[in-house]
Amino acid sequence: MTLIVLLLGLAAGVLVGLLGIGGGVVLVPAMVYLLHMDQHMAQGTSLLILLPPVGLGALREYWRQGQVDLRAGVLCALGILAGGYLGGLIAVPLASRNLKGLFGCFLMLCAFLLWEKPQDAGAFSSTGQETGRG
Amino acid sequence: MAEGVLRDIGIFVAACVCGVASGLFGIGGGTLLVPFLALFFAFGQHRAQGTSLIALIPPTGLLAFFAYAKAGYVSWKVGLLLIPGVFVGGILGGGLAKRLPPRRMRQVFAGLMFALGLWQAAAAWWR
Repeated sequence: MTLIVLLLGLAAGVLVGLLGIGGGVVLVPAMVYLLHMDQHMAQGTSLLILLPPVGLGALREYWRQGQVDLRAGVLCALGILAGGYLGGLIAVPLASRNLKGLFGCFLMLCAFLLWEKPQDAGAFSSTGQETGRG
Repeated sequence: MAEGVLRDIGIFVAACVCGVASGLFGIGGGTLLVPFLALFFAFGQHRAQGTSLIALIPPTGLLAFFAYAKAGYVSWKVGLLLIPGVFVGGILGGGLAKRLPPRRMRQVFAGLMFALGLWQAAAAWWR
């Protein structure tokens, strides 16, 4: 069990670094289907995993290239903190089944946004490439 | 000047929307933030991703996490075991990304994610 969880984290991390998609977007369904966790439990655990700055190494690469807007970043952090509280309040009382269905719809929306992104070719091919999404 | 303030307010509001998704679905929020910055605020792709990364360095999910933790919806053991794997895997994946065509990889993954989302929504509601 412990070994499976460690390997699962490693696999999810590779996808995060490789594709620049959110760790939570991968981890939540993985915990639901592979570890047979309840939807609420998987989401709460995903939030726990994302508390430490797991993207720090990738950020260094972007910072070196001057690809960081600090002012916008601080505003975004504040917005996500505030919005996150509201989202948590909405999610907790929902029936697990409805939350699972909504999460499925959200995955489809993310897939749609991920498919075609504006101007992403070339320019910045270092280690931190495409790791910008939490 | 006023234009700059409007832009700041717009970015904050967009981030609040990402935050609601973050708390509602237990994710980081960057998955929405990157396309939002690129589409609505004319950020280049890399600048959007770099800015999203710095926005996610502080524990932005803390308030949402408390809401889940209070309801008992956190598995500490699994969570703590997953953290080192995600961190190391992220470094490996970042290195691997240099050698693979990222656009094709993303589209393959988007296809898988769409199928998974459809499956999950169907499993939840169609029975």
